[in-house]
Amino acid sequence: MFLRYVFPPHPVGFIPKEKLRGYVDGINPVSGKPLMPEMVEALTKPLTEEEKNPVIEKRPKRPRLLPPDTEENLYRLFIENGWTDGNPIILPTEERVAEMLTGTDRDPQEVIGRMSVTTHQERLEYTVEKVAVIAVMAGCRPEHLPVLLAIAATEIPAFPSSTTSFSSMIMVNGPIRHEIGMNCGLAALSPFNYANSVIGRAWTLMSINFGDARPGDTFMHSLGHPINYNNLCHAENEEDSAFEPYHVEKGFKPEESTVTLFRGWNYNGINLGPAKAMAEALKRQSSMGRAGTFIMDPLVSAHLKDEGFKTKEELRQYIAKEAETFPQMINFIVVGGQTNPMWALTDYTPSITVSIDEWIPKTGIKKDEKPIRMPQPVLCKDGICGI
Amino acid sequence: MSKKLLTVLDPKGQPSGIFGKVLDLKNPMAILDPEKQPTSTLEAMIGQKMADRLDTLEGKTVYLVETGFAGAADFMKEVEGWFQRNMPSVKTVMRSKRGNMFTDDPELWQEIKEHGDAAIVGVGG
Repeated sequence: MFLRYVFPPHPVGFIPKEKLRGYVDGINPVSGKPLMPEMVEALTKPLTEEEKNPVIEKRPKRPRLLPPDTEENLYRLFIENGWTDGNPIILPTEERVAEMLTGTDRDPQEVIGRMSVTTHQERLEYTVEKVAVIAVMAGCRPEHLPVLLAIAATEIPAFPSSTTSFSSMIMVNGPIRHEIGMNCGLAALSPFNYANSVIGRAWTLMSINFGDARPGDTFMHSLGHPINYNNLCHAENEEDSAFEPYHVEKGFKPEESTVTLFRGWNYNGINLGPAKAMAEALKRQSSMGRAGTFIMDPLVSAHLKDEGFKTKEELRQYIAKEAETFPQMINFIVVGGQTNPMWALTDYTPSITVSIDEWIPKTGIKKDEKPIRMPQPVLCKDGICGI
Repeated sequence: MSKKLLTVLDPKGQPSGIFGKVLDLKNPMAILDPEKQPTSTLEAMIGQKMADRLDTLEGKTVYLVETGFAGAADFMKEVEGWFQRNMPSVKTVMRSKRGNMFTDDPELWQEIKEHGDAAIVGVGG
């Protein structure tokens, strides 16, 4: 559908009215013509033949394989076409993608979603095989594929095209966390875990290639966001939490594996203190009203229990009252290695929690004979370290 | 690097001919629900034709619809002021779109069809 547009100068929001008066009395910076006469003309100038008979050219179907080339040239092609995040990738050869597909029983050509980082552009369709391609590029192994398929099937991109520069967060619950070696404990949000890193990155590569993110065209973040690289991918520390796991709170069974996607903007620092301090922090948070997700170390969850909050719901009700907001706008997740009772307030709100189990092969998660794992934290067992 | 030729798979999603998402006014978070999407196809979009233009705005009723985007309401008030100063015969009607900048407002579009001659909708962002 065609529309006639007139462009005022930018920005329009949060500026004095006198400046807005100048805009309407001034010129369209794109066309160079006086703004309001152009607006009047848009409503009165007869339609052109093109406007009367709009034709939208269909984008051609893309071939499954790219023309054969050398590794060096293909590597350059992926970067120069904007198919990566700028970091090194593994080229998705047929052999590698076939191996990745052993991570699920699903038909490789099954269409599992369509995605766009915008609300109005054409949504690109993708199959199980396309997700496997992305998984290879991100450096994943077949054991990670079920999580990626569950994420892809939500059709939610990691970064929608808002000028406000959104970011997202991935959290995995249930048995799969340990089966694929995700970190939910010490330094879970830092770059010290293979699964956390490559799963988080893969969602970014999906958003670029399936969501069709192209800066200046479909992607308009003004500042951009460093969290877009990895989406804070982690698992919940269910074992050390004093509260029930997040996915159980959402109606899933403890033995089910799930992935939850959160969206917001800010990870607002590290804080200490009791529930009252949490409420005060939420009250000060302005970007998404008084909505947010608290990421707390297991020690914090234990302290909150000692304060008298038996459940997350009791805590939620208290903080909502103190922060003068709605309980349903507050969420809690438990992550960390219990070296310090700290919590972070984010303005993330959960988008969706979905089961991973339907994407896992009937024979179980496909693991390598010797799964790749980064070094585990060396934890002090006898107090000698002084912590 | 090796000069051996490799064949790799295309990582980009396939064009689907399906455009857009529409929010459920009663549940704005439904944009995150895949069940609610998609809503518009290429064929449907081509089928939506632009309205014929007016000969003149003099004496006509022009709806000024602010979308809810930051600054939209104040900007459209200035547009209204411009018409009052420069084309006083134009009757302007200010309206705020329900929901937010992403939501549809069929009732407002119907009101404009029934009572208006033209509409200016802004601002985008």
